[in-house]
Amino acid sequence: MGAPNRRKFLKGVAAIAAAPVLGSGLSLRSLAADPAIRPDYPGWQDLVRRGWTWDRRTRGAHLVGCTGGCPHWVYSRDGIVLRDEQSGDLPALPGLPDPNPRGCAKGSCAIDYMYGPYRLKHPLIRMGERGDGKWRRASWDEALQLIADRVVDAMVRHGPDSVSVFSPAPAVAPVSYAAGHRFAHLTGAHAHTFFDWYGDHAPGQTQTLGVQCDAAETSDWFNARLILLWGANPVQTRIPDSHYLTEAALNGTRVVTIAPDYSSSAAKSDQWLHPRPGTDAALALALAHVIVEERLFDAAFVAEQTDLPLLVRSDTRRFLREADLVEGGAEDRFFAHDQASGRPVAMRGCWADQPDTRAAPRHAYLGRDTLSFPEGTLALGDLRPALEGSFRVRTRDGGDVEVRPVLELLRRTLADHSPRKAARITGIPAATITALARELAATRPATIITGAGINHWFHSDVLFRALHLLMALTGNVGRHGGGVNHYVGQWKPVPSAGINALAFPRGVSRQRFCQTTIWTYLHAEARDGIEGMDIPRRLRDSLTSGQMPLYPRGGRSPKVFICYRGNYLNQTKSQGDVLRTLWPKLDLVVNINIRMDTTALYSDVVLPSAHWYEKTDLNFTEEHTWIHMTEPAIPPMYEARSDWRIFVDLAAKVEETARRRGVTTLHDDEFGWHRDLGRLHAEMTADGRLARDEDAAQFILDNAPETKGMTLDAIRRKGPQRVVSNWTSPMEEGVPYTPFRHFTHGRKPWPTLTGRQQFYIDHSLFLELSQELPAYRPPLDSDQFPLRFNTPHSRHAVHSTFKDNDLMLRLQRGGPVLEMAPADGRQRGLADNDWAELWNDHGRLICRVKLRPGEPAGRVTMHHAPELYQDLIQGGSQSVCPIRITPTHLVGDYGHLVFRPNYYGPGGSQRDVRVEVRRYTGPVPAGL
Amino acid sequence: MTSSTRHRQMAFVIDLNKCIGCQGCTIACKRLWTTAPGLEAAYWMNVETVPGRGYPRDWAGRGGGFDKGRPKPGREPTPEEYGIPFEFDYSARLFSGKRDRGRPRAAADWAPNWEEDQGAGAYPNTYFFYLPRMCNHCDRPACAEACEAGAIRKRPEDGLVLLDPDRCDGSRACVAACPYAKTFFDAAKAKAHKCHGCFPRLEAGLAPACVAQCTGRAMHVGFLDDGAASVHKLVRQWGVALPLMDGFGTGPNVFYIPPFIGPAVEGPDGTAGAAARIPDNYLASLFGPDVRTALRVLRAERRKRGRGEPSELMDLLIGRDARALLGHLQPHPSR
Repeated sequence: MGAPNRRKFLKGVAAIAAAPVLGSGLSLRSLAADPAIRPDYPGWQDLVRRGWTWDRRTRGAHLVGCTGGCPHWVYSRDGIVLRDEQSGDLPALPGLPDPNPRGCAKGSCAIDYMYGPYRLKHPLIRMGERGDGKWRRASWDEALQLIADRVVDAMVRHGPDSVSVFSPAPAVAPVSYAAGHRFAHLTGAHAHTFFDWYGDHAPGQTQTLGVQCDAAETSDWFNARLILLWGANPVQTRIPDSHYLTEAALNGTRVVTIAPDYSSSAAKSDQWLHPRPGTDAALALALAHVIVEERLFDAAFVAEQTDLPLLVRSDTRRFLREADLVEGGAEDRFFAHDQASGRPVAMRGCWADQPDTRAAPRHAYLGRDTLSFPEGTLALGDLRPALEGSFRVRTRDGGDVEVRPVLELLRRTLADHSPRKAARITGIPAATITALARELAATRPATIITGAGINHWFHSDVLFRALHLLMALTGNVGRHGGGVNHYVGQWKPVPSAGINALAFPRGVSRQRFCQTTIWTYLHAEARDGIEGMDIPRRLRDSLTSGQMPLYPRGGRSPKVFICYRGNYLNQTKSQGDVLRTLWPKLDLVVNINIRMDTTALYSDVVLPSAHWYEKTDLNFTEEHTWIHMTEPAIPPMYEARSDWRIFVDLAAKVEETARRRGVTTLHDDEFGWHRDLGRLHAEMTADGRLARDEDAAQFILDNAPETKGMTLDAIRRKGPQRVVSNWTSPMEEGVPYTPFRHFTHGRKPWPTLTGRQQFYIDHSLFLELSQELPAYRPPLDSDQFPLRFNTPHSRHAVHSTFKDNDLMLRLQRGGPVLEMAPADGRQRGLADNDWAELWNDHGRLICRVKLRPGEPAGRVTMHHAPELYQDLIQGGSQSVCPIRITPTHLVGDYGHLVFRPNYYGPGGSQRDVRVEVRRYTGPVPAGL
Repeated sequence: MTSSTRHRQMAFVIDLNKCIGCQGCTIACKRLWTTAPGLEAAYWMNVETVPGRGYPRDWAGRGGGFDKGRPKPGREPTPEEYGIPFEFDYSARLFSGKRDRGRPRAAADWAPNWEEDQGAGAYPNTYFFYLPRMCNHCDRPACAEACEAGAIRKRPEDGLVLLDPDRCDGSRACVAACPYAKTFFDAAKAKAHKCHGCFPRLEAGLAPACVAQCTGRAMHVGFLDDGAASVHKLVRQWGVALPLMDGFGTGPNVFYIPPFIGPAVEGPDGTAGAAARIPDNYLASLFGPDVRTALRVLRAERRKRGRGEPSELMDLLIGRDARALLGHLQPHPSR
């Protein structure tokens, strides 16, 4: 049938009979679907089919600072990687929703970093100024020689600790992470913490529990009957886990979001409470007030598992200690008043109960290793510790002092945190607060899912202590579907012993870890704008008394900075000070990267690293308990090499250079370590046993209890493997991992000073600041500007990774935007998509505005850390966020509060920042 | 194939309570089918924030479809309404020493997801949700009706509406005719194109990429007449999955579970009231008057789970086994 005839026919039918024919449910065209007249069109269909073919399928993981840990298959054809797709082979746990398919849109853009314009292809040496983007191509030999010369220079002239190596997040790519750390370890360079620096670490959790962090795998959300999403927006920032939330809701679980803005997660909740920004602790303490006042708490749990029964002296506000009572008594043995005997009784599991001789702590994430205590138990037996009242004890010097249980003190503190008072502070009605408190006490299991929304406050530690208090009072700790679950950052390198053995072969205590927040603050001479908190003196005291470390020692400046697998410069707070003051101190900045990111752009030598689909590595996360891997779909493109190989090659070059210059032996006083650079390459590869990435990956599996017995080959063949043991709970077949059950169910003492979940911290600084108990501290108002500046994680990027991706930017507005309440915009003459200038005393940025009705008035939001070469006219989110050191984070001389890399130290706060915004009227460059 | 071949219909159900707006489906589809030059602006699958103008901008007001059974004229969206794809010259900035930032070459004033998370209503009573949109593989495809070249057919074995580019004469009539704006035109090749339901995957027994890669586990697929398929149960038995803007008269085969979980409207004193935040009338404007019944059923069934009683409907929506969402299909290739 020719087209002209068809047209004529159609017109005629449409005019006469279209309606009745269509009414029959079959259109004219659909009649052609009758097989008898069905046309054959194989040609185009075959073409489409060919679009979905491949000749190779390999395992893949996205080795970015992401907690997803999403196993993928990577499909390639003719040596070209086409795309990836979730592997779908995570085993489901009985009765819980399927963990598959686990992934996101960003992950599907992984190949753009192989083939896109940002890809680094060859070693480059800077030609123009730092940041200009002018380079000349160099050979590997030339580039490595240049670095080796400067490294050896720095070691000889300034000491090995003047070389600085930065690489975060071991969990996502432990072999790659270990490469540079092992190089630093063997050469004596200093390395960097990151979990604290990025604000992922919750110091309040370490203060309370004596752990670096631990959380339930996210399938456990489905077990909760009440979920409080408190300062967390998993729908945007924990994309592959969100289904457990929506599925829990469908399963009848009530979901309450607590956040100032109407977020994507608030939209999925039954109730949305929107406290004024930074007032969350007032709300938490009011909930605790109701639970304590109305005696809704779980007294048995509290008596056994927390310090609430421990006695505190009224005269000194310090715990009653054995040393108070008997000559030669321990400073770290604590007491409760036993109602059965009417006497103070020493409680078991205290710090003083540690065995005299112990194996070296195996668990770097615990304040102390109470898991292997032979005698340790929290079981109360016949004891009936008093939770209230006031008692008198006779001290060894004959005094008669009043002592009271912590809960008694807490009750008095909470008296000042009534729902009515909290209503005035938070803006949430008192009746709503009271109702939620009663619901929380009555619903088990209940969980608090939390994140960066509240962890980035300057005073986040007192807030987290309050959240833990709520879960302890209600007995939700260690319970499937319960607890405070903090998911900020990739903080869980599950087989940490194996990773440490690879990265720090002579022990982590011989790695020069600086504390990156302090390091950057001091070397960048950052201005924090804080007055009246005496922070410089407190910092100095902490450093000189050895509570916190600083490298290089003796007030010297770092000389060589090697950064890889992290975008330090882009993410740093006080970014202006870092560029102005720290960067010029560095004689050489080296970046090892798959792509030209902001840090690479401002470096002197850039080395091309193999993409995630061009090398072998492992991949872990706290969000689930399965180990998987990535492997080469194709060999490294261009001249790229794996991170492991790059540092092995650099070690060889440093060895060669040291030999040539006759400086192979180097005595390291700090560790009494006689370093032999003449054996550097041999030590780097363990005499060749760790020459390849695969060897290093298997070494990790072999050296951690969590992965003992696993092989790389089995993961490749069978798919993700579940860890056999875990940090603070046993792994149970078919049951999601919920932390802290060794303590709550095994009754091992908690790794804190008191051996209990510790809500009372009688350190002198905490007492001085009246933070011995959880407290409400309003946000800092150091910046005299009207608007709060909120910088959350983004749906479309993992920190800065994928920020510059074309496909992702096309699903946004082409560049970073500032989200603003329509009223705040109107007040400033700003319409949607206008250019605006945002500033405070720390810096300035110019970007476009997006008016969002869900944003509260008085606050503006920019998803954090756009690259400095993206579509802003000036600056980036970190231009206006200073480094601010919270005094309580500097404590390193109190039981479980000690510096250990990524375990405890000053964190990264940037929620307290205030700014002003106005219409930008200057020229808008046309752009590239 | 004999003339006794059954006419079967493949259908999709999208649970808007589980859709998290992550754009995983958008990119899964785009990566697989529409990356060739000329296709940059086309999204066979897109997710838009509603209330909003959508993709392409104001798509719902362009006409097309049928009016009392007769084809209704429609208007082809303009390139600006699709959004001119942003392009960035990173190599100039990063490797060639050009000083300026990598900003979009096209003026940035619209894009497929431009209104993300904006929605409607004044704080604190603002509201929004995510609406994934794909070809509806309609019973009465307006695109096919408009195509005089006979290039668009609804095939009997699964009801997919397929476009044969060899037959396409580039008239663009189908682009104007689809009321959902889900037929597209590739100016580079002068051919129309559209979602083909990932038929190569279907032939291999696999779910389409948008469904298979939906990490929110919000999408169901299967034959509407397959009593065992979740799409059948949700559409035919429970009646809680509803077509989008059925008034266009095309008989869509993508169905939506309306959003029924969400905070209530807040009163002036800050306490939560009884009324749902998303107005029922707004949902009815999208999913028709039956949405009120569907919402009632969904809420009642969820309350049962809250009381610890069983609910087949909630179990269907939870879909504990990933394969339970996929009818007879499997999620991913086995090799």
